[in-house]
Amino acid sequence: MSWPTPKTVVVPLDFSDESERAFKTAIDVAGDASSVRAVHVLFPLDAVSPGVAWGEITDESREQAVRQEFDKLQQRLGQSGVPFDVRVGNPGLEITDFASEINADLIVVASHGYHGFKRMVLGSVAERVIRHAACDVLVLRRTDAD
Amino acid sequence: MKRLFLPVLLTAILASPVAARLYAQEASGGAAAESAEAVDSDEQAADAQEPTAGSEESPPTAIKEFEQQLDDVAGQLVGYIASVFFYEIVGHDEFSQEVDGAATDVETIRGLVQQAEEAGLNPQEINYTLTLPAGVVSDEEAARLQTEFGEEFTTGRTRTFTVSLAETADSQFVAVKPGVPVVVLWLVLGAIFFTLRMGFINIRGFKHAISVTAGRYDNPDDAGEVNHFQALTAALSATVGLGNIAGVAIAVMTGGPGATFWMIVAGLLGMSSKFAECTLGQRYREVRPDGRIMGGAMFYLSRGLKEMGLGPLGAGLGVLFAVLCVLASFGGGCAFQVNQSLNAVQENWPLLADNRWLYGVVMAAFVGVVIIGGIRRIAATAEKIVPFMCGVYVLACLWILVNNAGAIPAAIQTIVTEAFTPQAGYGALIGVLVMGFRRAAFSNEAGVGSAAIAHSAAKTEYPVREGIVALLEPFIDTVVVCTMTALVIVITGAYNNPDYAHFVADDNGAGLTSRAMQEQISWFPYVLSVAVVLFAYSTMISWSYYGERCWAYLFGDRSSMVYRILFLVFVFLGAVVSATNVLALSDLLILGMAFPNILGVALLSGKVKRELNEYWAKYRAGELETKAS
Repeated sequence: MSWPTPKTVVVPLDFSDESERAFKTAIDVAGDASSVRAVHVLFPLDAVSPGVAWGEITDESREQAVRQEFDKLQQRLGQSGVPFDVRVGNPGLEITDFASEINADLIVVASHGYHGFKRMVLGSVAERVIRHAACDVLVLRRTDAD
Repeated sequence: MKRLFLPVLLTAILASPVAARLYAQEASGGAAAESAEAVDSDEQAADAQEPTAGSEESPPTAIKEFEQQLDDVAGQLVGYIASVFFYEIVGHDEFSQEVDGAATDVETIRGLVQQAEEAGLNPQEINYTLTLPAGVVSDEEAARLQTEFGEEFTTGRTRTFTVSLAETADSQFVAVKPGVPVVVLWLVLGAIFFTLRMGFINIRGFKHAISVTAGRYDNPDDAGEVNHFQALTAALSATVGLGNIAGVAIAVMTGGPGATFWMIVAGLLGMSSKFAECTLGQRYREVRPDGRIMGGAMFYLSRGLKEMGLGPLGAGLGVLFAVLCVLASFGGGCAFQVNQSLNAVQENWPLLADNRWLYGVVMAAFVGVVIIGGIRRIAATAEKIVPFMCGVYVLACLWILVNNAGAIPAAIQTIVTEAFTPQAGYGALIGVLVMGFRRAAFSNEAGVGSAAIAHSAAKTEYPVREGIVALLEPFIDTVVVCTMTALVIVITGAYNNPDYAHFVADDNGAGLTSRAMQEQISWFPYVLSVAVVLFAYSTMISWSYYGERCWAYLFGDRSSMVYRILFLVFVFLGAVVSATNVLALSDLLILGMAFPNILGVALLSGKVKRELNEYWAKYRAGELETKAS
């Protein structure tokens, strides 16, 4: 029995190698770049770091920087045309909220992001997404896990 | 508005048991728990007006009991940590003698003191401890003996005679000459090492530091969050705090004017330590996809040492540093600031003296609004005001100095001579030197590693460049601001004034500075109160950033809220815990960070040196791009 091709695939990115792999997988699974919706979640800004205190770092500047990173990522992979969204808040919750909003059929998430442990422990974002998602979730294991 | 809910709720939770107890006491008119239970309400109302329990000055309230308990806990913590960090590795000398029964007679003690002298201990330098059997001697008797023996056998304020009780049958007399605590030695050796290794960068880099900070080499396209000036101001708002006003006063009070000299020396040497650690902070920082910078000692310790093949050591040191930094942010970055600023403020607003917890709650609310509520504007304003307040403070000190210009040469002479041959009562050279170095390190944080967290956010192509900017920090903080305070205290003779002895006893440095300046500028204490609160506030905000970064390093970004709540708890505690224990605890934790940091930076100093040489060669050859304006 074949698995139906999802019409909308959400892939959260934190620009780690693992999330890049999730991005490629999402495109493979969807078959078509425009069915994939990439999303990056920014932590809420604190008020005390030098950048914020001096007004140099704002949500707008961060979003701009992240979009540039995404363009670089697409260029690296020879992709284009994948829609990219930026949200602010708690990653696990924002990702699942976003997926619900756009009625996604599938979320492709790496099991660990930037600061994962090289053990069989699930990263907290992946865990949250599994817990709260309204749709199917595909979790990609770390390729260098034991 | 939603985000304000949490800080308000928290302060309400913190304040409610305190307020409830206060209210209960007002209603029943009772004082201490022991008295007044079964007494008639009229009598209670009358009693509440008069002091109860004989020898105390004011009725002990439940608040004060709570404060006392907190103080005891703090005191115990201090004891444990101090025994490790302040282990006296050099110069420690001791004489001890057991005596049968209870040695409560003056002549017996005199004989013991003499024996200590004969054993080679200089009475000018010794602290005495007498432990008496608890079964035979009561608490009041012990306190009385402590005062009596203290007056009889110790000269000046720094030598102490402590009488304590223990469950023994006999008495124990110990005379101790304090040596150099290992942490101070570590800092001094580190600073000297870096100064020599970097070829006196603190001197030759000074002029360049000024032009870099002024923006001559700024390039907005460089990776980073803020420019050099902004990064320096951010770091300065953390270092310029109560240490510059209160800490210096305490140093001069207990170490004599000579401590000022050693403080300046420490400041100058510390510039090299700052240079090295901030260069490393830049080199091993992480640039996040959203443009944010994550850097600091925990990063250069773990990554830098890994590059050198010392991965496990680096990881261990990084974690140790992060843990100590979190604790230090609660102590010196938070509780100490609240405590000392309250001491300064309550001189002018006595209401606060009796209700210290109120200040704690208000401060917690103001800090909570920023770190939990996320209201940027307040923090931004406070941080920008710091350079301005610094200027005002320095100007006021200069005004006092100019007005007493005739006394300056004598004061300088006193400072220099006492640096090497301290007056009676201030201990020996070692004691004075240690005091000067301790206060400088606590004030300018050189060698401690915290400033690297702020400086790593600067936009620059060359890590060395930000290190050179960081040189200015200990200079401004210690050689300028601290020295101003010290000069005022020496010139006005405040440190020697018997009327101010109670400031010494309470370790209330800010109060002393306030009083000393009041003599010269009658209205200045009000300005000083404002300045002090602002300095304390900005230091707290900045240190909450350092602590949070270290907490995030240990536990991940998502757990920040836990840290912030703990921070607020400590803001409140800082107001209610007594000055001596808060001061000691703060000292310990900030200086303790120097252990992993200096070790790591020393191991990595080869890399710093190489980069410095490359950069300096380019600079000399005029190859560095400057802003085209």
